[in-house]
Amino acid sequence: MQDEMEEIIIEFITEAEESLDKIEPLFVELERKGEDKDMLNDIFRSMHTIKGAAGFLGFQLIVDVAHASENIMKKVRDGEIAMSRLLMDVLLRSVDMLRLLLRHLKEKDGVTENVSPLVKDLGNALAAAVSKTPETGHHEKTAGEAKLPESAAPVIEKPEIPVMKEVDLTQAHAANGEQHTVAASAPPKQKETLTAALSGEHNQAPEKTAPANGAVKPDTQPQATDDGEPKQEPKQNEMIQSAKDNIQKAQNLRVDVHRIDKVMDLAGEVVLVRNRLLNISNYFDFKYTGDPMTEVLMETVSFLDRVTSDMQLAVMKMRMQPIQKVLSKFPRLVRDISASVKKDVDLQIFGEGTEVDKSVIEHIGDPMTHILRNSIDHGLESSEERIAKGKPQQGKIVINTYQKGNQIVIEIADDGKGMDVNKLKSKAVEKGLMTEDEAQKMSDEAAVDIIFMPGFSTKEVATELSGRGVGMDVVKTNISLLNGYVEVSTVKDVGTTFKICIPLTLAIIQALMVEVDGAKYAIPLSPIEETLKVSRKEIDNITGQSVIVVRDKICPLFELNDLLNTGTTGSSNEDYKYLIVISMGDKRFCIAVDKLLGQEEVVIKTLAGLDTTSSNVLGATITGDGKVVFILDVAGMSRNLLGITKG
Amino acid sequence: MNDLKMKILVVDDFSTMRRIVKNLLRQLGYENIEEAEDGAQAYSKLKTGGFGFVVSDWNMPNMDGLDLLKKVRSDPELKDLPILMVTAEAEKEKVITAIQAGVNNYVVKPFTGEILKEKIDKIFERLNAHK
Repeated sequence: MQDEMEEIIIEFITEAEESLDKIEPLFVELERKGEDKDMLNDIFRSMHTIKGAAGFLGFQLIVDVAHASENIMKKVRDGEIAMSRLLMDVLLRSVDMLRLLLRHLKEKDGVTENVSPLVKDLGNALAAAVSKTPETGHHEKTAGEAKLPESAAPVIEKPEIPVMKEVDLTQAHAANGEQHTVAASAPPKQKETLTAALSGEHNQAPEKTAPANGAVKPDTQPQATDDGEPKQEPKQNEMIQSAKDNIQKAQNLRVDVHRIDKVMDLAGEVVLVRNRLLNISNYFDFKYTGDPMTEVLMETVSFLDRVTSDMQLAVMKMRMQPIQKVLSKFPRLVRDISASVKKDVDLQIFGEGTEVDKSVIEHIGDPMTHILRNSIDHGLESSEERIAKGKPQQGKIVINTYQKGNQIVIEIADDGKGMDVNKLKSKAVEKGLMTEDEAQKMSDEAAVDIIFMPGFSTKEVATELSGRGVGMDVVKTNISLLNGYVEVSTVKDVGTTFKICIPLTLAIIQALMVEVDGAKYAIPLSPIEETLKVSRKEIDNITGQSVIVVRDKICPLFELNDLLNTGTTGSSNEDYKYLIVISMGDKRFCIAVDKLLGQEEVVIKTLAGLDTTSSNVLGATITGDGKVVFILDVAGMSRNLLGITKG
Repeated sequence: MNDLKMKILVVDDFSTMRRIVKNLLRQLGYENIEEAEDGAQAYSKLKTGGFGFVVSDWNMPNMDGLDLLKKVRSDPELKDLPILMVTAEAEKEKVITAIQAGVNNYVVKPFTGEILKEKIDKIFERLNAHK
């Protein structure tokens, strides 16, 4: 029972958060497009439902906030008051408060919030809006009612009296009071209906069994229904249709994410066993070629191979959610930020339906928020500046997400002033992040990446928004944690685009298996541009850094055993080396290994107690031959290696 | 008539609420409970037959509780199906409409299992008395 309660509470939190996610963008939409009955109703209903469920669970603070908001939404929905900036602000504050309260519940931190100032503000805002309404004359019906409060009120209130009483009686567990109360005080016409309804006569006609028979034999003569529709046939078709729709709807199942993760984990194990079986069967195929049982074995294993791949994909899809979940927060965010810096911003979002792994949903929000803040604060010009430049007064930010191969791409583009490369350089020099000389030599593309350097911020005075000590370097780090990377492209006075690329799934990846000094390693395939076999002579050395020319471009080269501090020297005396060309964003470097072993699907198992930020190791996996192999953290390497050499 | 094996349909768009109501019904000993997300879904479920009782929320997208009620009452196959409407305090003024439309009883959120039991008992007491 306790568990059941716990589960219900968790479900409530999730569902309430989802509702808030759904309505929050609607507020901004309302503000932009004006009042829309459906949207108003959606917001009202969500508040109402949250209140109702919270009431059952005894979360009084949530009930209070939702109730006060619902009161406003109800009046707005019914056209009694007009939506205003003031109402919107206070409603959004209540959305924030509800989120906060839900978070306390989720984290079970026992923290309580003082909601009374907010509830008071909600009440005041409502009162202010109500008192303002007659003057606006904007809603005719309301204005009419408001002009005649004395005469209108009793008419509305009368039916309420019996009902209120009945509720009281019910709650007091008075068994027979209802009918009396109703009969005593309701207006005559209603009295009749009510008495009938409550005593059940109206509903419980004596010919009770007749319709039931009708249901069994639908082909008895068509009956005229009350709403005057004599035909039964089309109705039935409609029914079948809607029943079908419902079958589709009902196929949504809410499952605890831990269960899915467990399945994911087990699917991972199956993949490992499959890999191992593939290896073994290849051995048998080689040793006992032509043996009929070998044939059967090969066939069975190849079937298992296919099914496992399908299963993996299916499990992966279970964890995928539309990125809408993250994007829906941004209209509100952009509204608030642009208001605080007094810029007029139009946010356009595309590709909300793109599905990404749950962990991406959880971790991509912060970096995206940061980029958006940066774009509004630094990227877009003020309205005056824009007009002077002959641009539309309203700044534009476009978020576009889509899937490209095995990657999810998220683009955040503004049509602002673009980045001034020279300014970035001189700032970096000033801050001691690089020398004058380095800055001179730096290409424009590389200079744009300066914004990702720790301790960099271009604004003279750090504003409240962007310059809060966390720089864009955090964006980069967060995205690397998802095995992704971020690129920037900028054109002066045209705008800046941030492009985030993240692999589709984080748990199972395609990897290139390599060998150094007899040890095997796995390198995630997605950032690998190409592999090369080069002679030692082709490797140059510039001020202690090995480099090699790859496709006419100089590329830094690192020995894998140096990167991993294996203590060995990479001593193999072969004349040839195998190079893996890694491309992370605009950064390119080579990793030198002794042997390339081939491609394998690996399941990432995190290693407890390993400092993944400095070890260059992402995790481990078990290979087809049953050995534990480290998976290299290429994003981390790129950060550790090139971050240092540049700075 | 009020037998614990009867099939009950719980209608609410908020799944937590469905679960809470289901839980309360289970505590009262009812086992055969199905769910629907809105009036439209509820209606087509009801049309499949076999339901003995409906507990429906009022505020729902697509088809709300009142419309469901009206639709059921105007359907010759379903018109006698007992319906208990779940309402919030703020909707008291609307209850009158529901009663006119033929709801058997209503219950105000939040309610306990006892209140629910009382409401259900009362509905079936009346139904049986008028048989």
